[in-house]
Amino acid sequence: MDLNIDNLLVIKIAGVEIWITETIFNTWLIMLLLVALAVVARIKLRRFKEVPTGFQNVIEAAVELFDNFAVDTLGEKLSYIAPWFFMVFSFILSSAWLSIFGMRAPTADWVTTFALALATFILMIFMGFKHRRGNYLQSLFEPHPIFFPLNLIGELAKPVSLSFRLFGNMLSGTIILTLYYALTPRFVQFGIPALLHGFFDILIGSLQTYIFVIVSLMYIKSAAE
Amino acid sequence: MLDSLAIAIGMVHIAAAIALLNGVTTTFGQAKIAAQAIESIARQPEAADSIRTAMFIGLALAETSGIYGLLIAIIMLFANPLVGTLVKLIESTL
Repeated sequence: MDLNIDNLLVIKIAGVEIWITETIFNTWLIMLLLVALAVVARIKLRRFKEVPTGFQNVIEAAVELFDNFAVDTLGEKLSYIAPWFFMVFSFILSSAWLSIFGMRAPTADWVTTFALALATFILMIFMGFKHRRGNYLQSLFEPHPIFFPLNLIGELAKPVSLSFRLFGNMLSGTIILTLYYALTPRFVQFGIPALLHGFFDILIGSLQTYIFVIVSLMYIKSAAE
Repeated sequence: MLDSLAIAIGMVHIAAAIALLNGVTTTFGQAKIAAQAIESIARQPEAADSIRTAMFIGLALAETSGIYGLLIAIIMLFANPLVGTLVKLIESTL
């Protein structure tokens, strides 16, 4: 593990350099795992039984749990965007768990978290215009048109604070674990780091995933209602 | 004997330490949120689930300022764009 984000490969396409960094590699690795899981679930879906057992039980429990969570937070009317946030949830959770294996979590790079937060921001604006039309635009000018710059800054700060929160938590875990591995002698590097990984990757990672998703859902709800 | 780069790096480290001092107030705010949540759960145990959800959201929102301080400290230590300017400034004054 290293504090820097290593550059693995440079691809040149029509004079434009594309850097394949560690973040991109790990992101594609997670995408591969999740897509493989989704394909397996889709193939098994044909043989799903009335009374679930084993693998079917796990898949149904995960989807149902998230659906109930989305309906509780968003309400019945808006809960049709739950599949997107199920994807975001599983991606952030598995990227936090990736650093158990000594690889750098993609969410410890601001690029990844900002992309996710920007998607939330665009979805927020889209949902606002879809469900409230002109009223959404008008809500920027309330309570008086003189407050428009303040409201605009408040809206633009949402993706930044959302992405910085996840990025800061993941990066602090990465830094503490890197310092532990770099500064301690070899014979204490077995067993004891499991506690640190358990706290920083599993506990903080799961908590921050939950918070990222629930804060995104609340932004969307406040824009659409 | 004075090395201007050493002075600049020392100043940057002190500045990062000052930026991290906001952890004191952040922790105080989070402690207050947790204390209030526990008090409400003790008073009304049947509402524990909704109180816990609200507590986690409140903790996350209060944590944001602490995270900003941490990021400012990290940027100052590892990716400071102003160290070159600072070194030149110190060299011209020495």
